[in-house]
Amino acid sequence: MNTRPLNVVARLAAATLVGTLLAGHAMADPVTLTLYNGQHEATGVAVAKAFEEKTGIKVQIRKGGGGQLANQITVEGERSPADIIYTEEAPPLIKLAQDGLLAKVDDATLAQVDPRYVDDNGYWLGITLRARVMAYNPDLVSEEDLPESARDVAGPEWQGKIAFVPSSGEFLGHTAAMIKLDGREATEEWLIGLKAFGGTYMNNVTAMKAVENGEVGAALVNSYYWAALHKEKGQLKSKLHYFSNGDAGGLVSVSGAAVVKASKHPKEAQQFLAFMISEEGQKAVLSKSAEYPVNPNVAADPLLKPFDELQPPQLTPAQIGLAEDALELEREVGLN
Amino acid sequence: MLNQASVLAEAPVSGRARVARRPPIWLQLPVLLVGIVAALPLLFVIVRTWESGWQSAWRLLWRPFVGGLLVNTLMLLVLVTALCAVIGLALAWCMERSDLRGRRYWNVLLCLPFAIPAFVSSFTWISIGPEFEGLGGAVMIMTLSKYPVVYLPVAAALRSLDASLEESARMLGYDRRTAFWRVTFPLLKPTLLGTSLLVALHMLIEFAALSILRFQTFTTAIYQQFELEFSSTQAAMLSAVLLAMCLVLLWMEIRLRGRGFARIGQGVARKPASVSLGRWQWVVQAMLLALVTVGCVIPLVMLGYWVAEGTSASFPLARIGETLGASLYLSLGGALLSCALALPVGFVVVRYKGRFAQAAERLPYLLQAVPGLVVALSLVFVALSYVPALYQTTLLLLVAYALLFMPMAQAPIRTALEKASPQLEEAARTLGCKPLTAFLKVTLPIVFPAIAAGFVLVFLDTLKELTATLVLGPTGLDTLATAFWSHTTVLEYAAAAPYAALIVLVSGLPVYLMTARKVRRRLD
Repeated sequence: MNTRPLNVVARLAAATLVGTLLAGHAMADPVTLTLYNGQHEATGVAVAKAFEEKTGIKVQIRKGGGGQLANQITVEGERSPADIIYTEEAPPLIKLAQDGLLAKVDDATLAQVDPRYVDDNGYWLGITLRARVMAYNPDLVSEEDLPESARDVAGPEWQGKIAFVPSSGEFLGHTAAMIKLDGREATEEWLIGLKAFGGTYMNNVTAMKAVENGEVGAALVNSYYWAALHKEKGQLKSKLHYFSNGDAGGLVSVSGAAVVKASKHPKEAQQFLAFMISEEGQKAVLSKSAEYPVNPNVAADPLLKPFDELQPPQLTPAQIGLAEDALELEREVGLN
Repeated sequence: MLNQASVLAEAPVSGRARVARRPPIWLQLPVLLVGIVAALPLLFVIVRTWESGWQSAWRLLWRPFVGGLLVNTLMLLVLVTALCAVIGLALAWCMERSDLRGRRYWNVLLCLPFAIPAFVSSFTWISIGPEFEGLGGAVMIMTLSKYPVVYLPVAAALRSLDASLEESARMLGYDRRTAFWRVTFPLLKPTLLGTSLLVALHMLIEFAALSILRFQTFTTAIYQQFELEFSSTQAAMLSAVLLAMCLVLLWMEIRLRGRGFARIGQGVARKPASVSLGRWQWVVQAMLLALVTVGCVIPLVMLGYWVAEGTSASFPLARIGETLGASLYLSLGGALLSCALALPVGFVVVRYKGRFAQAAERLPYLLQAVPGLVVALSLVFVALSYVPALYQTTLLLLVAYALLFMPMAQAPIRTALEKASPQLEEAARTLGCKPLTAFLKVTLPIVFPAIAAGFVLVFLDTLKELTATLVLGPTGLDTLATAFWSHTTVLEYAAAAPYAALIVLVSGLPVYLMTARKVRRRLD
């Protein structure tokens, strides 16, 4: 009988194995930066591309959640192939800084950003600012029923009308801010109310679309999710409601980046960070996500309320920190 | 353990003559490799849980959220498994024992769900409206995508049964229904239970489809908690619960299965007379039509709609081609590696019956209850600690695929090896063949169809793999599944559609070849 099949199979197998072993080590000479991108995929790709065009330095992107990538850098330690990490929220960066896995950002770069939005010790810096809002569908929630504070949406009158995303870092930050402002007890009550009367969604995009499609009256999200949908559809039924007077529901958080200590190309990595806050870099980010730029020379999306008109609570990302107390509270309540 | 060949008789006596001999070193190596590598994720789960200490484990596991996860996971598991078992058995009976018209066509149509991954059909249903979210939608979609796992083997078992048994029972006074439940059903039970177990185990670790359907189980929660927290302890702990559930399921399956039955003696099994459906013919036809429409036609039509929608926007052909190439390359590699490991392991277990080999063979089955993310995290940890050169290489990803999907190749290969009598090989030896030549010329051709089947099954699963690929793959790698996922999570249906359509097309070909061959064989 014939032995052909095995022969072919064996050769293919050998070829695959040898090929794959080599594949991981193929790139060498000209500097290629490795970006661990925990920010929205398209945003990371846009900045990397703009940087490549400007400097000729190639950027390889590894996609994943910010928490997942930070955890990966922790396990990798000195062997980390990452040069830069870019995350949607500050906590993964704060954690990496605490564990001594980040290199200091160049002073010249840090100096360009409002000190409220950089790490006190200079290990990471904010790239864009993100404001929490309530997106609502006027067909289901009339303007006069809009609450003054995010505290007020956890009552029975909001039964089935309010959506939130307990698994998101943004919601965790909101909870942490509320603990700082209103105390643990009030926050616990609020969470219990939300759990009882609100609907949980897997992520902000699904919650936002549910509001737009009239499946739920309102959602606690970040403003750029609304802007992104607006850009896609051209016109939206849903509107934004901004919480003012320092309400936790109007929290401003940062999306940030840092140079990994183990980076083999620290010079180019620093160059990348500097580019991210330059006008070109900021425009590249904003082209994919309507967040507020940290660079004052770049204009935010006119669809959004101008940044200086917001009245967020006076809490910096550093003060919110890892939000471990908020996660614990959410767990006690049964939301996580 | 999950061996669907339990209806068959034990290997012939001459196979036992070899028990005392040790397998040659080149056969022991792959067994050793599988044993060690497959133990890693399990050790990872146990050690991580252990490290965090009892108090913290208790605090993290004994909270209302975990209770909710347990309820959700169990409800999904019980409902989907029960429905798949009922549908699978009913379909098998209709196809094998009744005068159902158009069986040729139905057979191909009923296998279509193999080519439509659950996350693709979830995506198409959810793009219609939010009504399909939650338990109801999850049960519907998972059942529609998993029933062939029960139907195909049960139909095969029913086909191979000797009708004379049932006929004897009829002659002794049972009516047709009693004869079926008292005589035929017990013979089908091992296959039915084994395949239902596969469905149940899969419900423990399904991630993508359930995330899209907004239905939270242990596995979807593992991903979220991992993202919120900066350690893998919580993920490991929740996986420990999944492992415990897996052990309970395995134990239940063994208890329920009872002893296997074997048809003794040679000769051809009698073909059963087919039962006339009579007036039920049209009812059954309508039900089958409904099943195929809801299970395949609607998802495929919706997918087509989104692909058309997508082409009107931008269609990044270069990128799509690149991901298609990566997917094919990785899936073929994963399937090759799995078969390359399953063959020697199966061979050693069947021919030499070593204790270690038997344990090594079973480990990958236990991994069926460990989510891809956790398997990947354990490999990240091990690679970085001991073989950093492997980290973020394709090879490590292929190892992960082999760990995750090897049982798909193991089960058919082992069954085939049990049927390939060593006497044939010995005869070849006496005629002057060297051992390897004898194996290649005699045994391999006998097991080759099983290897091919295993290869296809692993290939199909690898094509759909998502989370291990994201965590372990080389930086910058995109497969059809990961590209689909990136777009779906932000609800870009049109952009996600081409990737989903390619997954369906690429899986459709082997599925069609498999079922078409089966049809042909039956018509001969």
